Amino acid sequence: MTVDIDKTDRPDAAPPAGPEAIKAVPVRHYGRYVAAVVALAVLASIVYAFAQGKINWQAVPDYFFDDRILKGVGQTLLLTVLSMLIGIVGGILLAVMRLSRNPVTSSIAWFYIWFFRGTPVLVQLVVWFNLGLVFEYINLGPIYKDYWSSFMTPLLTALLGLGLNEAAYMAEICRAGLLSVDEGQTEASHALGMSHSKTLRRIVIPQAMRVIVPPTGNEVINMLKTTSLVSVVQFYELFRYAQDIGQTSGAPVEMYFLAAAWYLILTSVLSVGQYYVERYYARGSSRQLPPTPWQKVRANLTSFSNRKGAAA
Amino acid sequence: MTAETTEPAGTGPTAMVKAEGVHKSFGPVEVLKGIDLEVRSGEVFCLIGPSGSGKSTFLRCINHLEKINAGRLYVDGELVGYRQKGDRLYELKDSEVALKRRDIGMVFQRFNLFPHMTAIENVMEAPVQVKGVSKAEARERAGRLLERVGLADKAGNYPSQLSGGQQQRVAIARALAMDPKLMLFDEPTSALDPELVGDVLDVMRDLAESGMTMVVVTHEMGFAREVGDSLVFMDGGVVVESGSPREVLTNPQHERTQSFLSKVL
Repeated sequence: MTVDIDKTDRPDAAPPAGPEAIKAVPVRHYGRYVAAVVALAVLASIVYAFAQGKINWQAVPDYFFDDRILKGVGQTLLLTVLSMLIGIVGGILLAVMRLSRNPVTSSIAWFYIWFFRGTPVLVQLVVWFNLGLVFEYINLGPIYKDYWSSFMTPLLTALLGLGLNEAAYMAEICRAGLLSVDEGQTEASHALGMSHSKTLRRIVIPQAMRVIVPPTGNEVINMLKTTSLVSVVQFYELFRYAQDIGQTSGAPVEMYFLAAAWYLILTSVLSVGQYYVERYYARGSSRQLPPTPWQKVRANLTSFSNRKGAAA
Repeated sequence: MTAETTEPAGTGPTAMVKAEGVHKSFGPVEVLKGIDLEVRSGEVFCLIGPSGSGKSTFLRCINHLEKINAGRLYVDGELVGYRQKGDRLYELKDSEVALKRRDIGMVFQRFNLFPHMTAIENVMEAPVQVKGVSKAEARERAGRLLERVGLADKAGNYPSQLSGGQQQRVAIARALAMDPKLMLFDEPTSALDPELVGDVLDVMRDLAESGMTMVVVTHEMGFAREVGDSLVFMDGGVVVESGSPREVLTNPQHERTQSFLSKVL
């Protein structure tokens, strides 16, 4: 114990005069050298090939902050957020239905999940898009009545296609999360006189979040990329705008590169956000949370300055 | 709730728990085969017996965590889980069951603290959420309860940062926060390292001295002998022997009690 504390407190301290440290010739891993050389060669040839291609690299920075591209980024983010909202709310609802003791609601939830997970999202989008061919009006009784074509805008088509499909996946994630909470927690809460809904809200869901959040983060990142599919239902977002610009400016491949770069930036930002959200929900689960990268950097800087101070 | 609160015949005002022929089955397995017993107000009532004898199940029936299949179970003169009108029994709504559970504190073998809340938040949770006590008031009371169980300095710690014994004492404080008239203990020291058992038993001893009615399922024969007022030995879903702890533990009449005690003492 005391030795450990000594070590962490003063990394610069000389090792205690113990037994002599072993100095041995390490094993040489020749296979690793070979693998590294092969991998580098392949990489170099790919870079070379692209360097030979007639790519107008300058087009990428030229259009990177084009108004249409920025608008597309905004639409992509909007669509991601709204679809995920539909997905999460729908997913929680379906998960609760699926876990309920009512056989009717649980079967309906099962059927929904089976259907929407079992068909490709592109097919679902196209179906929503083409429902106008079979419905002339939308008639919700006294609430709302309109021509189908003016009701089913590209945005609504995209939201329904992506959101309802996502709800099926989120339902399974939420269900796994709810089931992961120990039954003793529910019992303890009930024994204190808390109602079912309070138990769910105050005790079960906060603990389920630790299981739900990481895959949900993945779903958000996936959703951001999947939004590129909605260009087929005439919704204009990042990919569709990039495509349009590519066709008019005569640099189609370069615009796809540009779109890819934007997607990479967005998903990278989301990954960082996910890291911190996961940390938040892990509180109370492990005695000591591992430091964040930023904390590590700061710790290294201080230990570095300490070392310098000791050397001086 | 309504005027026709059922007062079972022959139950004096001092019976906190009264069981009449309580049966409980899990599927085809009959765990309780007719339990009759009475826990008087203010006494410490110990349940002992081999594992699988049904003592924990019986305890869980008292606050309706388990539904009984036959017989009658009363807490403070009121039927548990049902309302009787004439000859008919009506199941209570979840909200009505919850209302009754407010008055019954329970301490579990595996503590079951809420891991995402600090010790003091665990204790505050039910008063705030169930009784609608203000947070400031609940926090102050919770602080005093933690002091009572000797953990005032651990208020801000999460359960994972506490030892088993400390967790169990927080769990006791959490149950006490609802001002129960009855406390149920389900093998509160069985999951603890031996050197931590004493602290938990001390807290329970204090609680007994304060006049709390306690039903304790335990393997701590020393505690039962010293603190218990009544003791019941259960085996195979029936009460085999009952009496004062000293009597039963030192001079067991029944052969099964004798063989059990010879193994644990």
